[in-house]
Amino acid sequence: MGEALALGLASGPACVASCGPVLVPALLTGDGGLRPNARVLMAFLGARLLGYLVFAVVAWEVGTLAHLEPGPRMTLTGVVNVTLAGVLLWYAYKAKNVCGGNCGDKKLVTIVSSKKSRIPGAAAMGLLTGVSLCPPFVAAGFRAAQLGSVLLALLFFACFFLGTTVWFAPFAGLGCVVRNQAVVTVARMTMVLIALYYLLLGIALLTGRSGYGY
Amino acid sequence: MATNVGAPRLAAPAPRGMGRSLLLTLPIVLWSLVMFFHPGASVEWRSRAAATVTAVFMTVLFFMMMRTGTTYRWRRWFFVALGLLFPVGFIHGLLVARGSMGIPVEEMIAGRTPFCFMPIPTLILPAAFTRTIAFPGSIASSSHGIAVMVGLWLAITLVIGKGWCSYACFFGGIEEGVSAIPKRAQIRKIDPRWRYGPWAVLLAMVLLSFALFEPAYCMWLCPFKSVTEYVAARNAVGLVQNAIFILLFVGLVIVLPYLTKKRTQCSFFCPFGAFQSIFNKTSIFEIRIDRTRFKSCVVCQNVCPNLSLSKESIARGETLMSCMKCGACVDACPNDAAVWHIKGTDVAVKPERARLMFLYAAWAMAVMFGGSIIAEGIATILHLVA
Repeated sequence: MGEALALGLASGPACVASCGPVLVPALLTGDGGLRPNARVLMAFLGARLLGYLVFAVVAWEVGTLAHLEPGPRMTLTGVVNVTLAGVLLWYAYKAKNVCGGNCGDKKLVTIVSSKKSRIPGAAAMGLLTGVSLCPPFVAAGFRAAQLGSVLLALLFFACFFLGTTVWFAPFAGLGCVVRNQAVVTVARMTMVLIALYYLLLGIALLTGRSGYGY
Repeated sequence: MATNVGAPRLAAPAPRGMGRSLLLTLPIVLWSLVMFFHPGASVEWRSRAAATVTAVFMTVLFFMMMRTGTTYRWRRWFFVALGLLFPVGFIHGLLVARGSMGIPVEEMIAGRTPFCFMPIPTLILPAAFTRTIAFPGSIASSSHGIAVMVGLWLAITLVIGKGWCSYACFFGGIEEGVSAIPKRAQIRKIDPRWRYGPWAVLLAMVLLSFALFEPAYCMWLCPFKSVTEYVAARNAVGLVQNAIFILLFVGLVIVLPYLTKKRTQCSFFCPFGAFQSIFNKTSIFEIRIDRTRFKSCVVCQNVCPNLSLSKESIARGETLMSCMKCGACVDACPNDAAVWHIKGTDVAVKPERARLMFLYAAWAMAVMFGGSIIAEGIATILHLVA
């Protein structure tokens, strides 16, 4: 399992990079303070772990991912991207309520917690980013598929997750960023822009095209 | 919460004497001679003629700033010329070098993509984590190289901060020119929350560039791809990218500046502008509002092309951090309440001295950076017509 941990630690920056566009604005639209921020982060990471474990079972059951044709892989990624875009747009829309009507205040505002949308939203984002087929993730899938039992495959992915999660710790620091109208509005606009990117990418993949225009 | 954007009402400060104005212009004359006629400069007649015209143009504008005591309208002549002539020289260079404005993927792989300043903020995270520049260009190339552009940007930015967006950016002049065409704004109420747009685009592009390991802004959102270079589309996604470039250019650089008389792309979209705002904290030059002279007329707020003044900021005696130091508010204020200021000194004490110090720094850089681009554009036109 040391191998899984090392693989997770080594590929952590790639995971942070791929989750950053989703996670950073999501955290910035939530409550300020380390504890509320940590709650959203835990929901995100917990769902991401769930995604990893589901993938571990699938990888072990299928035996190897080498037989997964590019077509279905693109379709799967396309569906994930379109769903992620939908979740981001929904999250950005719901975030307008988190200021409790005080967002227009001239002074810094106390953002009223709205966990009803934020925790499930963060969890959905964690799950969807957790099943994206990035190279280190596929490498872990290959290795897990070679293990003797499904429990070992699950343990392998849990250790892989643990290794990558170390890199997510600095995101907790976003709780220290002051929450005011500017920060919340910027974060919401950012989510919309990123959602549009994922939507476009998802549609391109679902229609059988590359995500690259050149 | 809406900002009223009416027509500017320019005050007329007392003109400076001819001799004194000429004396103050002398350093810029000498600097222009060094920049345009140094020993290594081209001796080809078109280049010489272009350099002469540019040197005279830049010197006359500076002289007029000294003579009239106003800044904005003279700077605007330079800035619009820069915005219009940059694409001329640049596109001509592309057509000569590769026969097309579209960049094929082979050129990118070969690291021959020209580098502009726009992707600088998106390079930081990939460079910090991987010690790699996430841009398909050359670092050491003498023209359009990454190192040259980053060096120039850093030198200019540390001195004049977001003044870059009024004295160095070779894109903003197009929309400034368009915004100057109508006499009155058709759209007068603008929700100030749109001012957060550049920060959102910046955050999205920084995060996406790190995730994709490519300059996401250049690939997806840069309106100025329409007048410089663009993705050589090989499929529907490429066509969508180019359609986005054109729509953003038409909307943000042509239509909205005409309707609002504001620099809408700079104010509501440009991520580099948001990034530059941070450097207003490091620059010693700024615009302040002298509250002892302020009369609640908010002319300064109305004329600001970048919505960098709000009632709250005026009450604090300062501009917002997005101020581009174009001088519109200073020129327009009927009570001389908006003043140039050097940090660490008393507000409204010898503001003209602060203005001169800023203008010498900004104009010297404008001559060096923007002037060379203007000269190249003029030389290209001469090459095409004669």
